[in-house]
Amino acid sequence: MTTEKVVVMAPNGLHARPAGEIVRIAKSFADSAVTLTCGGKTVKATSMLSILSLGLKKGTEVEVSADGGDEAGAVNALVNLIQSVTE
Amino acid sequence: MIIKSGASISGYGSGKAFRLCRGNVTGTHVMSIDEAFDAERERLSALSGESDIFQAHLEILEDPMLRDSVEEHISGGESPLEAVASACSEIVSMFSTIDDEYLRARVDDVKDVCRNLECRLAGKSSGVLDIPDGAVVVADEVFPSDTSRMDLSKVSAFVTRKGSVTSHVCIIAGARGIPVALGVDIDKIAEGDYVIVNGDASEVAVNPSEDELQKFEECRRVNEGELEIIREAVEYRGHIVNVYGNAGSVEDVAKAIAAGADGIGLFRTEFVFMGSDKYPTEEEQFAIYREAALLCGDRPLTIRTMDIGGDKALPYLSMEPEDNPFLGVRGIRLCLANPDLFKIQLKAILRAGTFGNVRILIPMVTSVGEILRVREIIEECKAELSSEGKEFAAGIPLGAMVETPASVFAGASIAEKVDFFSIGTNDLTQYIMAADRGNSGVSQLYNPKNPAVKNAVGMVVSNAHNAGIKAGVCGEAASDPEYAEFLVETGIDSLSISAPRLIPVIKHLIRK
Repeated sequence: MTTEKVVVMAPNGLHARPAGEIVRIAKSFADSAVTLTCGGKTVKATSMLSILSLGLKKGTEVEVSADGGDEAGAVNALVNLIQSVTE
Repeated sequence: MIIKSGASISGYGSGKAFRLCRGNVTGTHVMSIDEAFDAERERLSALSGESDIFQAHLEILEDPMLRDSVEEHISGGESPLEAVASACSEIVSMFSTIDDEYLRARVDDVKDVCRNLECRLAGKSSGVLDIPDGAVVVADEVFPSDTSRMDLSKVSAFVTRKGSVTSHVCIIAGARGIPVALGVDIDKIAEGDYVIVNGDASEVAVNPSEDELQKFEECRRVNEGELEIIREAVEYRGHIVNVYGNAGSVEDVAKAIAAGADGIGLFRTEFVFMGSDKYPTEEEQFAIYREAALLCGDRPLTIRTMDIGGDKALPYLSMEPEDNPFLGVRGIRLCLANPDLFKIQLKAILRAGTFGNVRILIPMVTSVGEILRVREIIEECKAELSSEGKEFAAGIPLGAMVETPASVFAGASIAEKVDFFSIGTNDLTQYIMAADRGNSGVSQLYNPKNPAVKNAVGMVVSNAHNAGIKAGVCGEAASDPEYAEFLVETGIDSLSISAPRLIPVIKHLIRK
């Protein structure tokens, strides 16, 4: 299991479009179960509705975890994505 | 029985109530939860190319959140039907607590997807709904999956308890001219009741009485342009109220007269000046005004002189940039600053006066001084026309637009110097309320029904009548039946209506 923390930088938080990108990336790492944790709540990164239900605002710290064959790659890709969303 | 609706989509429709079943789907399961998801996935995949809505539904159906929640409830001992209902309400209540526009908009989609799953599970086909021809569809809410299963040509109206004017059903109904009444207490409507929806008045009549039926019938005929055209002037309590038309072109004049207008209460001349790249000559203007005067015959043609400035500019007239154009050199101020141009228009109007019943209306009046100056210029025009050997009408009535607070408060003295008043409620409301009519942030204030504006209208009418002249209204508010009623009660002498189709409506209303 690989875990890494990342802070949301997007001024409007993680809204529908970046959440959709997270889902697409998470699904592409099919060998791992990828999750996001925030405020004690853990959700599947393949569920857009779940990600949005976290209500991730700017400045929130999110924990990205993956467990499976390509877990390091999955976490790395998602952390990079979340950091790069600046709109 | 009349039920007031909340918001509505305009139009008129009537027919027998057809209630869409809502609430809990119950019954025995005819398929497993997996089969239900598969069947819905197949249906939505087939539809997803048709509309983004179905693509969104497919995404929700396939979202692990929904499926996981359903599975969780099933392992907790619930039946698949119960589990879908529980998952749905869980997700909906969770979304409603989150401040995210996208999620709030998805609430209806989640409900729609879940309801279709329930229908599948219970074997209640989500196939085509057998709607009787001309039915009024009554439902708690109408979802996209409902409308996709309906032959909309058979629906004469929608009546729902929930939903907003931006919801899917309103958008597709609006595009097809089907009225929608939202926010209606639908418990008062039973299957098969005769229901009439008047979207323009936000009213729903259920099993209407003879009187109610007649009222709605009139609205429908108006809506469909079937109302009889009244060619003579109408009276209210023995007082003649002329119903004029507003016109922005010669074609508009013809349309208003055809709709039974008693004349033209406002002939805007901006089109004469804005359509060309140089200031139109006296002859060019004369030809236009003469044609309009001939169309009106002996009915009055009220020509408003050039109302440029504010939000309107002319390519060939240099105007200083202004910080507040609506408080700047517009209307009569611009004309008095350019008397040579003003005289060309006035001479053209005076000449056209020999071909009909022409009146002159001055925009943006704020003082008696302006009227006196206009009268002087008109006299100069007459002298010039005489020396040029041109025929003109000598006694053309001169009126003032009342659209500034100043013209309301100085109304008693202005009334002594003019032949009629015409209240421009659009600008009067904006200036009295200090609320820009194009600014949505103050749209609550921009309301001619505000007591401040209504009191001003009352003052204008009594100032006019005290001076023995007539007062009319030529703003948009005159076309609003409710407002027209107030104006007529106040003693207004004429209403000038923008949309020709409303001219017969207002005439019928006054006559009643």
